[in-house]
Amino acid sequence: MTTPGLSFTRPVFAKLSPHPYLLRNLSPSSPGARPARTNGRAPQEARPVHINASSLSHAHGSALVRTGDTTVICGVRGEILPVERIPQYRPLDIRKRHQDEGGEGAVEAAVGRGELKDYDLLVPNIELATGSAPQFLPGVPPTPLAQTLSTRVYSLLHATGLVEAADLRIWYDHSKAKGEEREDTNMGEQEEEEERVEGKEERVVAYWVLYIDLLFVSFDGNPFDAAWAAVVAALRDTKLPVARWDLDREMVVCSRTESRKLHVKGLPVACSAAVFMEKEQAEAGTAVGEGRHWILLDPDRLEESLCREMITMVVDCSDGETRIKHIEKQGGTVLGRELIRGYAGVAEGRWKEIRGAMK
Amino acid sequence: MTDRRRINGPAAATIPPFFEDAGLQELKSAKVRSRPPNVIRKMYLKTGVTPSASGSAYLEIETSAKPGVSGLKLSCSVHGPRSLPRSSPFSPHIVLSTHVKYAPFATKQRRGYLRDPSERDLSIHLEAALRGAIIADRWPKSGVDIIISIIEGDQDRETSKSQGEEVWDMMNALSGCITVASAALADAGIDCVDTVAGGVAALVQDAEDASTPSIVVDPIPSEHEKVLAACCIAYLPTRDEVTNLWFRGDLPASDMELYTSLVEKGVQASKYANRVLVECLSETVG
Repeated sequence: MTTPGLSFTRPVFAKLSPHPYLLRNLSPSSPGARPARTNGRAPQEARPVHINASSLSHAHGSALVRTGDTTVICGVRGEILPVERIPQYRPLDIRKRHQDEGGEGAVEAAVGRGELKDYDLLVPNIELATGSAPQFLPGVPPTPLAQTLSTRVYSLLHATGLVEAADLRIWYDHSKAKGEEREDTNMGEQEEEEERVEGKEERVVAYWVLYIDLLFVSFDGNPFDAAWAAVVAALRDTKLPVARWDLDREMVVCSRTESRKLHVKGLPVACSAAVFMEKEQAEAGTAVGEGRHWILLDPDRLEESLCREMITMVVDCSDGETRIKHIEKQGGTVLGRELIRGYAGVAEGRWKEIRGAMK
Repeated sequence: MTDRRRINGPAAATIPPFFEDAGLQELKSAKVRSRPPNVIRKMYLKTGVTPSASGSAYLEIETSAKPGVSGLKLSCSVHGPRSLPRSSPFSPHIVLSTHVKYAPFATKQRRGYLRDPSERDLSIHLEAALRGAIIADRWPKSGVDIIISIIEGDQDRETSKSQGEEVWDMMNALSGCITVASAALADAGIDCVDTVAGGVAALVQDAEDASTPSIVVDPIPSEHEKVLAACCIAYLPTRDEVTNLWFRGDLPASDMELYTSLVEKGVQASKYANRVLVECLSETVG
């Protein structure tokens, strides 16, 4: 690889033979040199994170996340889904409301999660085709990467239970509406009686649907971590207007002045790494387990293209101890039980960085 | 037929929140322009926001003093010049392809992911404006992609009733698109005869003096009672050329003077924008 007569600049080498170039950087020939990646970071050093919340005015909640050269904007917008439009709607038990407001039982949480999933109340979508990188140009259907990312965010939103269904229900409280109706004559009372017979004093009339749209402004590797951090930051920022059922107009009416903050449970943080093998991808298949490897935290675009094995761990340390919410690993066989256990410590460090950035 | 490559949410259509009318009156009354008629809003322009693209820029127009009115936020990236695919026919010039897309959260109503006609319209106007500025015959057989995402549209959040104002908002969006694309093209190092910038002028009618419409630059529709006509101009200052002119509204055909003065004001607005553009570019180069 070293051609003494011919001297190229570093970017040219990186482009011509990326794998040997990264390998040489990670295992320097002189003993004094510190092993570093091509981008100057240590193998287990992530890029600094900047999070800027509520920068958009049309969305109910928004966040901009920047890690190195990866920039993503997330906007959360609530829209109303009346229950009569839900095909297989099962009315909620009235008592549940009070239980939900009082103490949080495990059973209620499970029911809530079912609602979120059955009625499809969370709609995350990721748009990469904004010219964020040369391979993502608009005018084509979403790339497999964009589809995978959207699906991963979707399943993780449901798995972590970040949003509670109780926050998204819009109730019609008959006892509160009664005061207004009493001024009416017999008509009102008749209705009241009818409703009491049916036992529908309080009922859910509609749900909020949260459209979570993510737009990549700039793409330089590790899209999932940035996207997930943006989703969490935007949801923590979300304020939905207070909504009530208007009996006269028979529709949900929102208050202009009052709004309620969405209750977000915990602070799960995604932490991804790629495994770089000493042997190149083509030959690695023949001799598995041979040669050295490096775990590169928060890989950039060049590193992602050279690594086959990726791991994503979602941790949450917000209640004192580290809880692993989700582990995802694909390709390769290097990462075993011990390495993954050790990786949890790395993820914990990343969690602290992101929590610092969210404040 | 739903798009199965995206997550579509509930099968039934959802309703955007409907707000009660209380408190609307006091907001309606404040229809006053906060700037003198011939001053544009402050803007912030920065190049190099997308490092992997050959050129990129970000433009932000100052939010109005009135709460609830958002400024324009645009991000533009330029990819190319690069060789055209083999299947495409020979072209002696560079082939421009422009793409303008509103983000789903950019406007009052949520936008879908598929391009709608107004976005296509913006793309076509943008292409016309840029084609006059680029020295196209320096790159035969090559193409360049100019992609603009409108992160936040220039819209008033509170005026929910006023329909048909989107047209005037589109004018402002287009002028921003032209300016930001010009900065991104310069950042990409694509040769242009001059920097092109967009400017908007409008004939507006205020509530107090219904009889005399006046001309203002960089209008915000919510600050005026009624916008009668508007034009968006892409202008090359050193050549004194207009590369694109988009006029909308109705003016009496007999009054040619009104028409020319509207265009003149548009040129003036574009000159102001150009000053910001040149300053931003000289900072990056120097």
